[in-house]
Amino acid sequence: MKTALKLAYRNLVGAGLRTWLNVIVLSFSFVVIIWLKGIMMGWDYQAKSDMTDWQIGGGQYWHEQYDSFDPFTLSESHAVIPEQFNKEIALGDMVPMLMVQGTLYPQGRMQSVTIKGIDPHQNLFLLPTHRLDTVVDGIPAIIGLATAQDMQLEKGDLVTLRWRDANGTFDATDIVVVDIFSSNVPAAEASQVYIPLQTLWEMSDMEGEATLLTFRDEDEERAEVQGWVLKPKEVLTASVDKILKTKTAGQSVFYIILLLLAMLAIFDTQVLSIFRRQKEIGTYIALGYTRREVVGLFTVECAMHSILAVLVGALYGIPFLAWQAKAGWTIPMDAGDFGIAMAQTIYPVFSIGLIISTVLIVVVVTTVVSYWPSRKIAKMNPTEALRGRIQ
Amino acid sequence: MNYYRHITVMKFAIAIIFTFALMPLHAQPTADQILERVDRNLSSDNRVFESTMIIHGARGSRTLTSRTYAVGEKRSFTEYLSPPREEGTKMLKLEEQLWIYSPSTDRTIQISGHMLRQSVMGSDLSYEDMMDDRKLTETYDATVIGSEVLDERNTWVLELTAKVDDLAYESLKIWVDTERYIPLKEEFYAKSGKLLKRAVLSDVVQIDGRWFPKTILYKDMLKQGGDGTEFKITDIRFNENIPDYIFSKAALKQ
Amino acid sequence: MIRFLIKGLYYDKSRSRLPIIVVAIGVMLAVFLNAYITGFMGETVELNARFANGHVKVMTKAYAENESQLPNDLALTEVTALKKELSERFPELDWAARIQFGGLVDVPDENGETLSQGPTTGMGIDLLSSESMEIERLNIRESIVRGRMVQQPGEALLAEEFSRKLGVNPGDEFTLISTTMHGSMSLYNFKLAGTLSFGNEAMDRGSIIVDIEDARTALDMDDAAGILLGIFDTGFYDDERALEIAYTFNAGMDDEDEYAPVMKSLTQQSGMGQLVEVTEKWSVYIIAIFIVAMALVLWNAGLLGGLRRYGEFGVRLAMGEEKDHLYRTLIYESVFIGLTGSIIGTALGLFAASLLQGDGIDITGMMEGSAMLYPSAIRTRITPTDYYIGFIPGLLSTIVGTMLAGLGIYKRKTSQLFKELEA
Repeated sequence: MKTALKLAYRNLVGAGLRTWLNVIVLSFSFVVIIWLKGIMMGWDYQAKSDMTDWQIGGGQYWHEQYDSFDPFTLSESHAVIPEQFNKEIALGDMVPMLMVQGTLYPQGRMQSVTIKGIDPHQNLFLLPTHRLDTVVDGIPAIIGLATAQDMQLEKGDLVTLRWRDANGTFDATDIVVVDIFSSNVPAAEASQVYIPLQTLWEMSDMEGEATLLTFRDEDEERAEVQGWVLKPKEVLTASVDKILKTKTAGQSVFYIILLLLAMLAIFDTQVLSIFRRQKEIGTYIALGYTRREVVGLFTVECAMHSILAVLVGALYGIPFLAWQAKAGWTIPMDAGDFGIAMAQTIYPVFSIGLIISTVLIVVVVTTVVSYWPSRKIAKMNPTEALRGRIQ
Repeated sequence: MNYYRHITVMKFAIAIIFTFALMPLHAQPTADQILERVDRNLSSDNRVFESTMIIHGARGSRTLTSRTYAVGEKRSFTEYLSPPREEGTKMLKLEEQLWIYSPSTDRTIQISGHMLRQSVMGSDLSYEDMMDDRKLTETYDATVIGSEVLDERNTWVLELTAKVDDLAYESLKIWVDTERYIPLKEEFYAKSGKLLKRAVLSDVVQIDGRWFPKTILYKDMLKQGGDGTEFKITDIRFNENIPDYIFSKAALKQ
Repeated sequence: MIRFLIKGLYYDKSRSRLPIIVVAIGVMLAVFLNAYITGFMGETVELNARFANGHVKVMTKAYAENESQLPNDLALTEVTALKKELSERFPELDWAARIQFGGLVDVPDENGETLSQGPTTGMGIDLLSSESMEIERLNIRESIVRGRMVQQPGEALLAEEFSRKLGVNPGDEFTLISTTMHGSMSLYNFKLAGTLSFGNEAMDRGSIIVDIEDARTALDMDDAAGILLGIFDTGFYDDERALEIAYTFNAGMDDEDEYAPVMKSLTQQSGMGQLVEVTEKWSVYIIAIFIVAMALVLWNAGLLGGLRRYGEFGVRLAMGEEKDHLYRTLIYESVFIGLTGSIIGTALGLFAASLLQGDGIDITGMMEGSAMLYPSAIRTRITPTDYYIGFIPGLLSTIVGTMLAGLGIYKRKTSQLFKELEA
């Protein structure tokens, strides 16, 4: 076996250009397989990372009465922010949000909305809340693209908002749409109006109160707080996770096609080399190699391609994939009707499992694929082969 | 109630009304006095009335008729008479609770929480608007801020500001007829001072010694489209003998 | 000469058969992947189309402006006639009327008093008429958890989680409290036929599905419907055609009338244009990378095929063949190989993709607890691109690969090439 390996290695290196072409192409398919699979996973996981960026952060505390699917619970679900969070809030690692039911009257049409009070200086969410820190002819507000489209509102529009304070007394005033954002997260956009928290406190007579507290760090161990329900990230994303699971079947088809690509790359090489190297095969047999040994030699030689490809691939693939996972892949989008550039970034999701299994599968598959045409050798007539006669 | 007694009561009532009606000629009453007189006109211990509600929607108007029995401010029972779809639908108000009965489902459902904030039969009125039965004098401080002529009637303009904190409207502006002590116009304001709703009262008639506006037009001022909701009393009687069992959930099913 | 070359290719299997097989497999993979990715990535778009947006959607102008509020007071009227007109004018779409509504589900105890109550969002869809495709479209049958499908008027389906919360079981009666088209409160009794799993928290928390005729009775919406969805018979969204249909339809409508129907293509509906664009762009990018990779593999195959023939070139040059001629014949050969391989590959790829188009492979059985909003099938989608995309790696890279390999003819001396025969 050792000689076979040595011989296979020599043959490979001896072939020079041809070997390197194969190795480079194969290594490229390695990287592409892992990368594309990561992108596809990233596409599916996009919903989850968008949720993190726009809606749930690293997890939340909910007021015990709050029910995200029942807007009518809002009037009951607010309380003074627990003191123990003050430090975290001051550091910007926790963002309190107060939610109040309201009615917006764009062009005189009644539209129920949720008014969300948020600190303009927060940076936990990607919401462009810094735009709220401005003086305009009314209360500055930002809204999502979906709401803007639904309600036919544009940047700079003045629109009447009506709400009830803590006692149920009606109040109404004009808000000014200072910015429109696009998030891909319906829960962060649909029928929602974001205004400065301080303003909402004053408007609703709920100074210092909040409905939700979103924290940044998802890994930190957190305690239950009286009157609040801790919702860790995995609880908040549970339904997305379930859908992701169902997509695995579709993902595996994609993966198989990618693997076939690698297979094709090696299959071609192997068939050609066996076809063209009959003389060599004849020589091996004439030298006393058994056919099995020759088959073994060719298989090992070809499989070695994939090992080399792994090494070469790792050389540029690891830094490339690492950079991709961090920076994501952004494709530019046309600015929509509302003049909002909707750059789309997908962060490919690579798991060690994915990388290892891909490498293993490709190595095994290439070995099998190299073995397959090699069997032909066993059927060759050595004398004919020695003469280089094509059979 | 026999006919003779009825007449007597009528005479007595008319006498009282005349006395009150003459008052403004002598002295300008205080805002609280005006409100008290208004309350006295509008609230009664016992009444039965038939009414028509015309909802002027953007897509045409709808008319609903109903008969209501009410005792005091806390108990009332309404039965819808038309259109056919609403016929037999009954509503019962007892204290702070409201039930609705639908004959097609034979179910009695309590309307509570946010449902109270929904519109009554598609009108510009919510169940909550209907439910708040406190007298103006109990809930608002009033000041007279001027006088105006409205539809050829002299009115005092009163500004009402909430004195309790659980009211839907922080302030009201009402135009009160100086002779009949009936508001002819009411405007409902948000805390910010924005006008939210307007009611115009008309067809003021005298029944059993009290003045009563038979038509009220409500309009949500923030909403565009539609011409509001018209509430017309077609027949009203005071001091009827209303049996107690009417104000029970059992009566809803009958 | 071309004939001669083809003959040569035909007899020398090593020069023809293997490269053609390799090119064909490569092209087949490319074509199939393109169809597959288009189907897979478009799944979210199609899910939205089936559930809410249609490929096109007809509403009144006023309804469209207030859609998020489910404003049934602004619903379409005389829907039967409208639907008939639409079917006649645009037969390539299946038209389905739906009513969306909000309200409360109220469950009575034995005395008819409220036992439990919960806010609900409902959909009235055509569950009972025989020509309706809605049940399949929404994957309802497969998503039933308890009980059965709605079989007669007056029956309803509730989300499983919602039904558990309310304590109502198949066979039980409950009341839907909602608002009629005219704004009155409406109460309507339903019998629970079965429960559903949606796979979306919001819907699992409070959804009801009833037959549209029941919804019409309950909400006083005689021959009315909130929305009228048009879904292409192909099952796939075609933006260009949808926009064209919407444009044609709207051109004949009164601009002033708030209650005149308007048609919107999927992409004209809120957020959907963005989703379609994002999906299409990403699909293109992913496919492009795959094609590049495949092109590289086939280019390499072409290159290797050429390199291995240096010996033969040496002989041919020694026999007095012109270098240019040799190079040209080499390219001609590769054109033939690339073309044949691409045609075979495209045909095979299209065939494989067509097997998975339409219904696709049902994967509901492969997953535990299927739900309405989960993809229920692996589907491919054949687009015009599939007919030519394979030629990029198939033809182009084979030729380029051969061209590069053939450069050796010029670079090396005849003797050197001759020597490589030995290698």
